[in-house]
Amino acid sequence: MSLTNVMSGWRTPALSSWPARWMAMPGSFKVGSIILAAHVLFALIGVFWTPYGFAQMGTGIPLSGMSWLHPMGVDQIGRDVLSRFMYGAHIVLLLALAGTTLGMVAGTVLGLVSGYLGGLFDEIVQRLVEAMISIPFLALALVTIIAAGPALAGEPALIVLVVGLVYTPRIARIARAAAMEIATREYVAVAELRGESTWSIVRREILPNTANVLLVEFSLRISYAPILIGALGFLGFGIRPPTPEWGLMISENRGLLIASPVTVFGPGLGFASLVVGLNLFTDGLSRMLGQRSVVGA
Amino acid sequence: MNNNKGVATMTQLIEIRNLGIAYGGQTGWTDVVEGVCLEIAPGEAFGLVGESGCGKSTVAYRLLGYGAANSRVQTGQVLFEGTDLLQLDARSLADLRGNRIALVPQNPTTALSPGMRVGQQIREMILTHRALPAGVSMGQRITELFALVGLPDVSRRYPHELSGGQQQRVTIAMAVSCNPALLVLDEPTTGLDVTTQRQIIRLLSDLRSRIGMAMLYVTHDLALLAQIADRIGVMYAGQLVEVAPCAQLLAHPAHPYSRGLIASIPSVLQGHARGSGLRGMLRRDQMAEGCKFEPRCDFATATCRSTPQVLVPVADGQAVACMRWSELADTQHSTAAASTALRPERQSTPLLSVDNLSLSYAQSGWFTEWLGKRTVPIARDIDLELGAGEIVALVGESGSGKSTIARAISGRLAPMSGTISVDGHRLEPTLAGRSVQQLREIQYIFQNPDASLNPRRSVRAILERPLQHFAIESTPATLETALESVGLHAGYLNRFPEQLSGGERQRVAIARALLVNPKLLICDEILSALDVSVQTKIVELLLALKEQHAVAMLFISHDLAVVRQLADRVAVLYRGELMQMVDTDALFNSPLHPYTEMLLLAAPGLRKDDYVPKPPAMPDAPSVAGNGCPLAGRCPRQVGSLCAERRPAPQMTQSGFIRCHIPLAELAHHSDVAVSARHVQVSGPASPLLSYRSITP
Repeated sequence: MSLTNVMSGWRTPALSSWPARWMAMPGSFKVGSIILAAHVLFALIGVFWTPYGFAQMGTGIPLSGMSWLHPMGVDQIGRDVLSRFMYGAHIVLLLALAGTTLGMVAGTVLGLVSGYLGGLFDEIVQRLVEAMISIPFLALALVTIIAAGPALAGEPALIVLVVGLVYTPRIARIARAAAMEIATREYVAVAELRGESTWSIVRREILPNTANVLLVEFSLRISYAPILIGALGFLGFGIRPPTPEWGLMISENRGLLIASPVTVFGPGLGFASLVVGLNLFTDGLSRMLGQRSVVGA
Repeated sequence: MNNNKGVATMTQLIEIRNLGIAYGGQTGWTDVVEGVCLEIAPGEAFGLVGESGCGKSTVAYRLLGYGAANSRVQTGQVLFEGTDLLQLDARSLADLRGNRIALVPQNPTTALSPGMRVGQQIREMILTHRALPAGVSMGQRITELFALVGLPDVSRRYPHELSGGQQQRVTIAMAVSCNPALLVLDEPTTGLDVTTQRQIIRLLSDLRSRIGMAMLYVTHDLALLAQIADRIGVMYAGQLVEVAPCAQLLAHPAHPYSRGLIASIPSVLQGHARGSGLRGMLRRDQMAEGCKFEPRCDFATATCRSTPQVLVPVADGQAVACMRWSELADTQHSTAAASTALRPERQSTPLLSVDNLSLSYAQSGWFTEWLGKRTVPIARDIDLELGAGEIVALVGESGSGKSTIARAISGRLAPMSGTISVDGHRLEPTLAGRSVQQLREIQYIFQNPDASLNPRRSVRAILERPLQHFAIESTPATLETALESVGLHAGYLNRFPEQLSGGERQRVAIARALLVNPKLLICDEILSALDVSVQTKIVELLLALKEQHAVAMLFISHDLAVVRQLADRVAVLYRGELMQMVDTDALFNSPLHPYTEMLLLAAPGLRKDDYVPKPPAMPDAPSVAGNGCPLAGRCPRQVGSLCAERRPAPQMTQSGFIRCHIPLAELAHHSDVAVSARHVQVSGPASPLLSYRSITP
């Protein structure tokens, strides 16, 4: 849709001018996107090829540390940590993306409609949103997972749902603020005078004009998502073992921190670089779109 | 300054020599001001006029040593009392600014600090420059300054407690607080009402004669300059194209651009004669290497395109940058045919009828009733009728409730009481209750075309959406014809609003409204955001559309001159009440309401007319809220306590009604005197344009 027009700065892309345009981009955006590209590449390789199977036991002697066969060591039951690390890369990426997208869609719809309509609907939605934001996100996530019951626990869909649930009210607030500003513009009044439906006005008039804000919000949220997913995995509420989710790997191997520290370094570094990369990317993106990045929960 | 050369320059207060300024952008440096030379003598008022984007403000701000962050002075000097301002460092500039050269900004609302009392803001200025005259205390000086600009002592007030006109007076008081030698005024009256505008102009000429400072007055409004300036410089595309004494310029403009600019100004006296404006618009991407005005000039020849033009003196004090000026002086300006607008026969059943409409923004609920508060209406007892194909203008100062009435008719504000009917069918008060058909019949065009077009949609999407929504069948050619009917072409379909100029955007907005074949078009101040030459074009367009489409218009405006060109009937609104309803043609020969008269006389013509508003007859008898005539206390002809206490009943006239306590016969006599006095000032013929033609040899 009109999201193509969001990048109004670089409309009509000519192939020859790409290098020049790349050079003109903010440094943080360049570094961020290189880190992200590396992550995606690494995750892709991990899906199709790993030195050993990610759940294959007895590939080496436990606690043997670094070696040419096992650059990241071997865990307690003899699984190759590098293989697990590689295979786990795409899980974090996909879960973060799906969870944030879910929260984004729900939060945007709720926020835009609430900001545009105002009145009683807005009041109700905003009180609910405030109630949800007042609960710490980890507590909310844990309660949701426990409430879902053992049958669903460990399913990727549940993690996606939890991330979405945590993010929806936070994104709704930002979307509402943006929509309230746009709702006073005269082109919205023109559409009202035509007798357009609320949904049509939100979709055609308000959404395209809040896209900048929402795009920055999306990248900001997605940079926090790996932390949330990792924390859930670490606490044992994440993906069901033996699927090698990074948070779970840190949790499994934290007993080896002294005996064979290299087994924890991989997932830790993976998280750190992913979050740093996403943050740099967001920072650069918001600077290019002329938005201030909002730091906060 | 002892040598001869120094003395020579000292006869001029400020001298700009060959000034060239460029703005940096993505594509490199663009010259916005080129080779501007002008000088202002001490005590002289110099007017700088031109369309928006011609570089006049850029030049003015350079006189204060100020330029936008991305601007660069390429060439030239700005000599103020012999020193080059462009060479000064920040500290010496700061000593000059406010002290020797002061600025009156365009928008006083944003120029005054909202969190500081206005007295404190003036005090700051005087303290900074240590400009307190000996033997006077600060308090006295500030009171004195307020008295100078005709204000009571308002030093304890905050800016939001003052009206727009009062705020502008405060900024003027602040500007003259250090007795500057030069006052730079950047469109100081653009945002103000006609009557307030005239008060400010009077104040400024008064101040000039008392303090003896020079003024640089930057504006796009030539009629206003005629009232105050000694000499006028006309700028086009960053160059001065003509410099001449005020009267000389207005009577014998030598440059084709000055001619066009003067011709495009509507006048309250001009009647339905269409202003013969300038064609095209200022486009910096289409500049010829020779004369910059060549693409729009009616007299251009092939040599004009290649020969750069420089200012050459042609008469006493007059200089023009056109090599064909002497030939032009002989040719008569192509006379705009005074087209008598088609007046539809008044039909028995009106298209739109508004009865007894009262409006208020406050929601009256049980809570406010319980508190015993009565909601004060913004508009009350409005009766209005519009025939099919008729243009009715709604005129009044800002805050008189014009737009509020339009909101109610369009359905965005539910009225407190009263009914609105179209074609005899009563309309529901809110949008939700109206049928799709009824919504289609009334189309609304907003004041600001920047905000009424969605910036993220192409012109095609903007135009297509109403067609889809009202399920109107369309062929690919429909949009193109719609664009052509408003003077654009199919090439605009794929552009986005940000790629269009203000005038083009307003045309797109008009095309969007017309596409769905409305019966009534509500035009809410649609010209006020546009340049004079563009305004003329849009007025022509609206008149043509009225004939083609037979669409009725409710035209909201504060500008009587435009209304005079366009409207069939005029409704004058003051503080939410209709004061008078009159045929446009009858504005000059039928009895006038005192308020209508005030508005008419205040509108500046192209002659210096030394207009002095008549003082209110009984300034101490303001209207009793909700009961009296709203004009009481301000009316120059108030008859007594009756005005303040009782609401006048409408008196029927030939073409409408007047709401006034003074009997019609007396009103008629009075307005004859007032208007004929005005006719004498413009020397015989009704049109100042005609009069200048008759003088031209």
